[in-house]
Amino acid sequence: MTRSGVALLLILLYAGVSTARWVRRAAAWPASSRQDEITAYESRFKLLRTALPARGTVGYLGHPEPTGPTPNDSNSAALLHFRRYLLAQYSLAPVLLIESTDHELIVGNFYPESLPPAPQGFRLVRDFGDGVLLFRRAPS
Amino acid sequence: MTIALAVSFAVSTCIGLLLLWLAWPRTAVWSWPLATALGAGLGSGLSAVLLFLWMLALGPTRGFPLAEAGLLILVALAAVRRRLAGHTGAAPVTPSHARASRELLVVVIGFLVTLGAAGAAFVSHLRRHPHGEWDAWMNWDLRARMFFRGGEAWQTAFSPALPWSHPDYPVLLSSLVTRTWVYAGGETLAGPALVAGTFTFATVALMAAGLAALRSTSQGLLAGLVLLSTPFFILHGTSLYADVPLGFFFLATIVCLALQERSGSATNRFAVLAGIAAGLAMWTKNEGLLFTLALVAGLLIAGLSGSRWAISRRQLLAFATGLAPMLVLAAGFKMALAPPNDLLSTLDLERTFTRLTDPHRYYLVLGAYGGHIASFGSNGLGSVTAVLTAYLLGLGVNRSELGRSWVRAVTIALVLLLAGHFMVFVSMADELPRLLKSSLDRLLLQIWPSALFLYFVVVRAHEEVRSGQPITGPAEVGQGVRV
Repeated sequence: MTRSGVALLLILLYAGVSTARWVRRAAAWPASSRQDEITAYESRFKLLRTALPARGTVGYLGHPEPTGPTPNDSNSAALLHFRRYLLAQYSLAPVLLIESTDHELIVGNFYPESLPPAPQGFRLVRDFGDGVLLFRRAPS
Repeated sequence: MTIALAVSFAVSTCIGLLLLWLAWPRTAVWSWPLATALGAGLGSGLSAVLLFLWMLALGPTRGFPLAEAGLLILVALAAVRRRLAGHTGAAPVTPSHARASRELLVVVIGFLVTLGAAGAAFVSHLRRHPHGEWDAWMNWDLRARMFFRGGEAWQTAFSPALPWSHPDYPVLLSSLVTRTWVYAGGETLAGPALVAGTFTFATVALMAAGLAALRSTSQGLLAGLVLLSTPFFILHGTSLYADVPLGFFFLATIVCLALQERSGSATNRFAVLAGIAAGLAMWTKNEGLLFTLALVAGLLIAGLSGSRWAISRRQLLAFATGLAPMLVLAAGFKMALAPPNDLLSTLDLERTFTRLTDPHRYYLVLGAYGGHIASFGSNGLGSVTAVLTAYLLGLGVNRSELGRSWVRAVTIALVLLLAGHFMVFVSMADELPRLLKSSLDRLLLQIWPSALFLYFVVVRAHEEVRSGQPITGPAEVGQGVRV
């Protein structure tokens, strides 16, 4: 076999390995009934969306606390906290979620089963279940 | 909804294709595969710009598809008029040099099998992760939702209150996703998937068709085969990020520059198209601006060091003509709508100087560049860089292609682009190892199709090795005729 033939064979071999990889991935075709993680996460906010104004800015509080006993734990907790916040923002757009209690309304995005108290100066408007809560500033 | 999405794809592709048909110099050979691949991407880019202008004037209203259909009719009428006037372009590409050799047959089969498998894997992966990866939902598609759901308040998408969403980033990708929803009449995850699929596979098609027109069919299919076999290219296409679309516009710019040189001094139309493609790259990601600057520098250096400065100067002016409208749009967006860039706004001269004088940062970035380039495209057998190095040793270099001015210009531009990213890492990154890990592969992926195109232009084709004669693609016709 010539040198150029060997070179071509090498590319075909590389392509063959990748093709086998694509075939394996294609074979892992998901069932149509299976919901992906983000769509499932988003469905938690469906009811809340109808209770929020069409646009504007609201506050946000959520689990987990971005702290931990070691720097590694803190980093992991902070990353998870951020991811949950981002996905809440993605779900509730175009309403802007700001991590603060300076706004009239606050969206609570907590772990299911947990019952965190309303932030100081706020009252619970509605518990939408699955850890999703809406608070409103209490009249002073 | 599926039909509406298919219509949105067909409308932008037809607009791109017809505009190319109108702009194609009469002296250059018309190639349907090349024009279709180029038209699909450029048409999408132009549709994104149109939607943005439409939103500025009227907001994201449902009338946009009608307006775009009106534009399509106008462009089609202009194309018919041109045809009736007898401007039918040169004869279509006839692959006279692409005799059905055994190698070509093997490459055709390999390409088709890999294309089918990669396409199926692409769809399967997207079905499992229809929202894409982090940047898709924290940036590009979040912004599309802000546009689509925001109504009159669509510009909330650029609120500095969400700095992590990079609200200063250009909006081509978000506009295209919004456009699919406007056509469909509601949000659907098939919209971003369609945009991702269009750019991923249009890049493969542009690579293969561009090289088939400029070099040979087997060379084009081999390059397409390597691109389809690069695991990160296909997988990252499904992440719904802007890197693959950006890579398409880089490649489109370079293909147009190559066509420009093949067309000689008879026309500057391909240089104008290259400018438009570079402008669309700027409208896709901030890296597009660095690419354009690097390319202009490359064109200037190659032009000044060559013997045909007068021609180079004319082509540079034509490139600038194509670029200018997008430059105005991008500059207007940055000045009027976008908040300051997070990297630039936190720039501290003292801290930057400290970073620039820290040799350890250079060592880190250099090491990461070496490691990522050497292992790029690993698929279990080996990296694609290793495979292509061995292939080059097996076939050798076509010296006449290597000596072309556009090859020099693009090589300089790609090196400058890598050097520019290198300095951004050294001077600006706060958490350097993390940033290198998360973004260097994506930066390499952006230039991967262009680098691969350049590689297969200069490496000898199998036909050349067999015959001992250099071949030149059929695009090199009609030189010297002024249009």
